[in-house]
Amino acid sequence: MSDRRKIGRPLAVILAIAAVWFAMSFVIENAYYALLLTIIPIWATFAISWNIFSGYSGLISFGHAAFFGLGAYTIALTSLHFDLTPWFGLPLAAIVGVVAGAVIGYPTFRLSGLYFALAMLAYPLSMVYVFEWLGYQEIILPMRPENPLWYMQFGSYHGYLAIALALLVLSVLLSLMIERSRFGLSLLAIKQNELAAEASGVDTFRWKMRALVLSGALAATAGGLYAVVVFVLTPGSVFGVIISAQAIILSLFGGAGIVWGPLIGAATLLPLSETLHAELGSVLPGIQGLLYGVAIMLVILLAPEGIYWRVRDLLKRRRGEAGAASAEPRGVAGPVGAKPSAPRPQPGETLLSVRSLSKTYGGLKAVSDVSFDVREGEILGIIGPNGAGKTTLFNMLNGIVVPDAGEIRFEGRDIAGLKPNRVCRLGIGRTFQVVRAFQRMGVLENVAVGAYVHADSEEQAWALAKEAVAMVGLADSKDTLASTLTSKELRLMELARALASRPRLVLLDEPLAGLGSTETEELMSMVATLPAHGITVIIIEHTIGAMVDLADRFVVLDHGRFLTQGAPRDVTRDPRVIEAYLGQRWAAKHA
Amino acid sequence: MRKLLASLSALGLISVSSTTGVATAQGQEQVTMALAMPLSGAWARIGEVSRAAAECAVADINAAGGIEALGGAKVNLVVADVGGSPESAKNAAERLLAEHPDISGGVGAYVSSFTLPVTEVTERAGIPWLTLSYSDRITGRGYKHVFMTSPTSVQQAEDALPTILALAKQATGGKPDTVGIVMDNTPSPVGFTEGMRDGGLEKYGLDLVVDQVFTPPLSVAGPIVQQVRSARPDFLLFLPTATPDIKLILEQLTQFGLTRERLPLINNGGPMGTPDLLNVVGEHLLEGAMFITANWGLKGQEDFTEHWKECTGLPWVTQDISTYGHFWLLKEAMEMAKSADPEAVTQALHDMKLTEGPARFFPGGTVSFADNGRRENASIVIAQWQAGVPVTVFPPESAVAEPIWTGQ
Repeated sequence: MSDRRKIGRPLAVILAIAAVWFAMSFVIENAYYALLLTIIPIWATFAISWNIFSGYSGLISFGHAAFFGLGAYTIALTSLHFDLTPWFGLPLAAIVGVVAGAVIGYPTFRLSGLYFALAMLAYPLSMVYVFEWLGYQEIILPMRPENPLWYMQFGSYHGYLAIALALLVLSVLLSLMIERSRFGLSLLAIKQNELAAEASGVDTFRWKMRALVLSGALAATAGGLYAVVVFVLTPGSVFGVIISAQAIILSLFGGAGIVWGPLIGAATLLPLSETLHAELGSVLPGIQGLLYGVAIMLVILLAPEGIYWRVRDLLKRRRGEAGAASAEPRGVAGPVGAKPSAPRPQPGETLLSVRSLSKTYGGLKAVSDVSFDVREGEILGIIGPNGAGKTTLFNMLNGIVVPDAGEIRFEGRDIAGLKPNRVCRLGIGRTFQVVRAFQRMGVLENVAVGAYVHADSEEQAWALAKEAVAMVGLADSKDTLASTLTSKELRLMELARALASRPRLVLLDEPLAGLGSTETEELMSMVATLPAHGITVIIIEHTIGAMVDLADRFVVLDHGRFLTQGAPRDVTRDPRVIEAYLGQRWAAKHA
Repeated sequence: MRKLLASLSALGLISVSSTTGVATAQGQEQVTMALAMPLSGAWARIGEVSRAAAECAVADINAAGGIEALGGAKVNLVVADVGGSPESAKNAAERLLAEHPDISGGVGAYVSSFTLPVTEVTERAGIPWLTLSYSDRITGRGYKHVFMTSPTSVQQAEDALPTILALAKQATGGKPDTVGIVMDNTPSPVGFTEGMRDGGLEKYGLDLVVDQVFTPPLSVAGPIVQQVRSARPDFLLFLPTATPDIKLILEQLTQFGLTRERLPLINNGGPMGTPDLLNVVGEHLLEGAMFITANWGLKGQEDFTEHWKECTGLPWVTQDISTYGHFWLLKEAMEMAKSADPEAVTQALHDMKLTEGPARFFPGGTVSFADNGRRENASIVIAQWQAGVPVTVFPPESAVAEPIWTGQ
């Protein structure tokens, strides 16, 4: 794990590529290829900027041309009106990109999925009209024969190429740093399950905003450099749909979510399209676009996730076949720890206090006027038939749902209405009824997402994650992909993710759903050890049997109302509880 | 990494093979002229028409004996597709020069956003370049090798009103007092009307009674035409650039009873006179519509018109007669310089003072260039759709038909 997180080797690779690329421009004594060599890194940088946001976070932006165009126009307008040199103009373009990222992100992050993608599409399209309305239909960078170097007007393309490569290396470096830090892991978590990320203490809004702001800065700088090289701008040529599409196509073709993806895309597709244009453009005009489209469609069909991932999967499979014989058997270690009857600390002070909590959906009172307390070191079972409001209650406790009325006090502090990641940071972790795993991440990485909440450094976060993985007994499969785990392992992994944030209280939402009886017992004995680690537990279950031995106390809900509470054995004999679960007739017969 | 190198070395191979290919095909008795035009993308159709004119010109030059001063050297035409953006235009220009290091001069690229990057490249390479684009910026950058035969956009806009008023006076004996503008907000009409709005109309005693600017594409023309009908200007500057918008507004105007006989209508730019427009919009709607252009079929070219139709396959002489003429000017410059060397050809173009020969392909009948590359005495002409054919109606020395301006 640790060697995968080092930045040195990939950085050396990109520096070597850049050096060879630059050297090539001296070998090829041809202005056309020099121009191509210059344009490709600019588009690659733009595609990487898209990847930094959309590739990592999974929020597809159809509107990155907004940043590209703003950067280009920043250069053109400051050069035209204020005689500003691009040497200052490019950093200024980056700042414009940052501001644009914040201004665009703030309203747009309210949307998700397809709605987000479509809303992003609107920004560059509206900018086309804004810039036309402003009278910038066609704008050219003035010539500065008196001081060309100061105004970044080189006699050959070598100068532009050097700047383009520097920008590219910078964006690759930023990508590598993101990929190998909490930043990237948080974005990856958002991509795979935003709600779970939020519940694991990831401030999703802030990370998305950071990614968009950074991405906007890079895209705008790329746009600015593009303006310097091409020197003629029209709104359509920098804000057009084709510009946004360029970033998406290059990234998806090469493989999104990894820095090499956009690089592969740019280095393959751009020369291909130019070659087609050069060879066929004057013979059969337009045919180049058709062939380009066919090439892209083929890749989508043969490698839907992009070339990088396809090649990696193929290599892995080949390596996997070779190493299959020596593959070590996966650990069958059950959770270490005590039986349900293990000695527990005496319940202490009140940790969580819920008063008159209510939530209504239209006419349905999902939770109505529920009050109860949880004491430190306790295992509290919240039971009730389907539809009793248990999950809604949990969602209010950890901030996914904002209560209509009532109070939730955690260690004396009112937490009602806080966002899930804030609640998590205060010390409440949770698992979900349907496991929300980050499918394409390994067990340890899944858990690490939660570990950053109270870690001061990367190392500490990974140490906490390892600790939590060991605690639930998954140490042997820490590198296994989440998508290949059994349902018990998934439950344990999700529990470990909650534990890695070092919670004082964990909320377990039906952790037994889908498990067999032996697996249930294993999981239960794991949960039973938590109080000894100073962790209080609230657990939702509707199968009462397994819970009777585990929980110190039951709170019973029915139709969103508080029904009763007390010791498990008393509660299960309460006729009202039996009635709630089994109906009036059964209750009367056994009364 | 390996992939990167592979694709680049593939590029390198292509470059080598194509340059050598041209070199071997190149004989001693041959000079190379280039045409750069949008042959794909939104302007592809216009580029195709220019290409037909260019091929016709080169065929005619060769049929007439080639470049006499160079022993009858034949002209070899190389064509580049500048695509649909300034970036692709710049790429195309670099590629054109890299693949054909023997180019003596070139022509193109119609759209000023494409002509600008193309000429930046050719200027650095010292290749003389002729264009019918008219943006002032093209010849305002201090270039020495770029020649523009159309009046600049500023000059066109300045000349437009007095020319229209002179035409109206010739046709009706009176002077219009009110004018309307219907236009989209693309560069061409915005630039064209800028000076008029800033005091130009006032100077000629014209009252702007209706001013409708829209962003293409237009979905409904009703509200715009309603405004025009209630304002009833004496004539309308009708400046949409996209064919669907032109058709939509013309249909609506006709429905509202504002036919061209009742409301004189003037567009700006050659696209208003293309055969394609006739196919899409129809003879009935276009009848009487006028447009300002840098070049059209001129008086005294009647013999040439028949040849043009046959040679280019176009039904009448369009502004691409400029493209046709540009190749003849390059030929003329080579004859003067007795050389195909680009610098010598450039110098010859600067020294050129033509009043005959290819000069007849340009309004005014003279060709000489100012230091900045603009053709001296370049002036606009006005053409009008009459019985399904756009014909030059003004100024009288170029006109092949009388203008029809009835007004209300």
